[in-house]
Amino acid sequence: MLTDPLFWTAAFNTAQYTLGSLLIQLPVALILALLLNRPGLRGRGLLRLTFFAPSLVGLPFVAMLFAPIFEKRTGLINAGLHHFFPLWDPEFAWMHQYVMSALIIAALWMYAGFNMVYFLAALQNVSKDLLEAAAIDGAGPWQRFRHVTLPDIAPVASFITLLSTIGSFQMFELSFILLNNGPGPENRGLTVMMYLYQTGFITGDLGYASAIGWVLAVTLMSIALLQRWLGRRHEER
Amino acid sequence: MKTLREKLTRYLSPGALIILFLAVVSVLTTLLLPRKQAEGIPFWVSAQAHYQAYKPFVAEWNARHPDRKINLIQLHATALERRMLSGFLAGTPVADLIEPNSTTAAKGFAGPLSSVGYYDLTDHIKAEGLLERINPPSFALFTTRHRIFGLPHDVHPVLLAYRSDLVEAAGIDVSTIETWDDYFRVMSPLMRDRDGDGRPDRYLLEAWDSNAIAISILLLQADGKLLDAQDRPALNDPRNAHILARLVTWFSGPKRVCIDINQDSAIGHRQRLDGQVIGCLLPDWRAGQWKRENPGLAGKLKLMPLPAWEKGGRRTSGFGGTMLGINRHTQHFDTCWEFAKELYFSPRLAEQLFRDTNIITPVKALWSSPIFDRPDPYFNGQASGRLYIDQAPHVPLRSSSPYYANAVANIANAVSELKAHADRTRTFDEAALTRVAQAILDRAQYAMEREVSRNLFLLQEP
Repeated sequence: MLTDPLFWTAAFNTAQYTLGSLLIQLPVALILALLLNRPGLRGRGLLRLTFFAPSLVGLPFVAMLFAPIFEKRTGLINAGLHHFFPLWDPEFAWMHQYVMSALIIAALWMYAGFNMVYFLAALQNVSKDLLEAAAIDGAGPWQRFRHVTLPDIAPVASFITLLSTIGSFQMFELSFILLNNGPGPENRGLTVMMYLYQTGFITGDLGYASAIGWVLAVTLMSIALLQRWLGRRHEER
Repeated sequence: MKTLREKLTRYLSPGALIILFLAVVSVLTTLLLPRKQAEGIPFWVSAQAHYQAYKPFVAEWNARHPDRKINLIQLHATALERRMLSGFLAGTPVADLIEPNSTTAAKGFAGPLSSVGYYDLTDHIKAEGLLERINPPSFALFTTRHRIFGLPHDVHPVLLAYRSDLVEAAGIDVSTIETWDDYFRVMSPLMRDRDGDGRPDRYLLEAWDSNAIAISILLLQADGKLLDAQDRPALNDPRNAHILARLVTWFSGPKRVCIDINQDSAIGHRQRLDGQVIGCLLPDWRAGQWKRENPGLAGKLKLMPLPAWEKGGRRTSGFGGTMLGINRHTQHFDTCWEFAKELYFSPRLAEQLFRDTNIITPVKALWSSPIFDRPDPYFNGQASGRLYIDQAPHVPLRSSSPYYANAVANIANAVSELKAHADRTRTFDEAALTRVAQAILDRAQYAMEREVSRNLFLLQEP
């Protein structure tokens, strides 16, 4: 497996998607949560439901929804951009060279609201006394966030990071459906889970697929242990 | 009662208890539900059109043979594949008669010949002269290591469907077209920029580097190779490099003539209806699909043989296929075999299949039926059946290898890589692209050989 170029392509794509998801999804979720946590905000419940709703529909639905959006010429994104910026190429191939960007955008739409709910719950538990004390001591909004809010929500953030990492490593349905039941041109959308599926259920090599599954499980377990160790070190400080 | 509740909640939370309760109730309900005992020899099909067409036939058979009834069961294609392979690999129950498509059928050929789950029909087919009665290319998809494991259901030749309304309005005469070069030259006046944005709004052929189906159709037509006669990978055949280079000049650069259109979606049908493309590669079954899904194209299309790659070259290709296989462990082989022949050689069923799905039968004797000569309003009064039948004997041979789908995917990936190289370096010279294509195909060949080398049975058995 270690000398199999396709496995490494899948691993690279998965890592790319995981990093992209974590670096974009979590900050967006946190920003949404901070916005919704502002005191006196009207329609908070409705906004919370609106942001959370995409996560209720499931990945296959999201994939079906985004497939036409990313289409060349007729897709909402290309047609819209070409309409407003005539120099934009309406044949821009989102699902070709930019598969991972397309997947990250689709996943962002689905999961940002989901993660936002966790952050919102954590934010509502941040000690008001500490925030007030910091404000009295002259701390600005950024300093209050950096030194009071962030340490308080760190355990939840760590938990969400772990969940998102595991979820990203297991990504299958979204790319599989968006790319028309395959890994896409030049295997650009091939993830480890999709390679496992292809090897086991398309090629019929169940032994190799099982080995891929084990590698994935051990990798995820290692990441979880590493995250736990880092979390503990942080708490001890 | 309170004690019991306390005892239960001591070990399990209320949520877990509810889940457990629901699980127990579901299991008991499933066990207690009355089971409908199916009568007859099970026959699995997946295609809806086949199921509908076979129903009256099976009812008739059952009335004639009350002691040898057939039990027709429709399964989703994926369910059929999973259940069939589970049966072959692990001995779970499998129907006596199975009608898988060629991709699913090929998965049953992965092991040693002696363990293939289908009944080896070779001797029966030869002894009863069926080899001569059925269009020869149709057997290739269901023959592995010189043994035939299925009765072919179809041929699936590919023709070129073109927008005759647009072509005729432009005063273009298609009768002079013999090669792809002719086609692109003659049709070139139709590839115009109508809205003035500097890009053509209409292209001449529906094919793209991400469309593995179109690539495999064109490659087979051009006598390219995916696997050799022994089912070993042959991706780096020099002929393939030449074909790939030429295809890339169709997809990109100053001579671009192709467009990427979504195969089976509403968007794709809309684009075809809007006239964004002139010509499409159309197997017989897809013609039936278009009639159902895009009736708006009726009267706007005509069919013609595919333009050849070189003068005097092949004018068709093939895509898809279905077979009728018999479980090798069946206790009712004679009944299954008699039923299979009656089903696939039935003139009435062949006509109904063509009427409902546009699929032509592989049984040569049935090609004389007048139904195939009937004017087809969808194709501007052309006799679509006859046009497909004329090309049926020339359909290229395809492999039954379980690695065939992987080979198609690999070749499509190679086209994508070559196109990306051409776009990046602005190289659209065929000779230069052929050299790059050869290097890409050598890498693809290595990867594919690695993959196939894990299957010792296919390589070791002659």
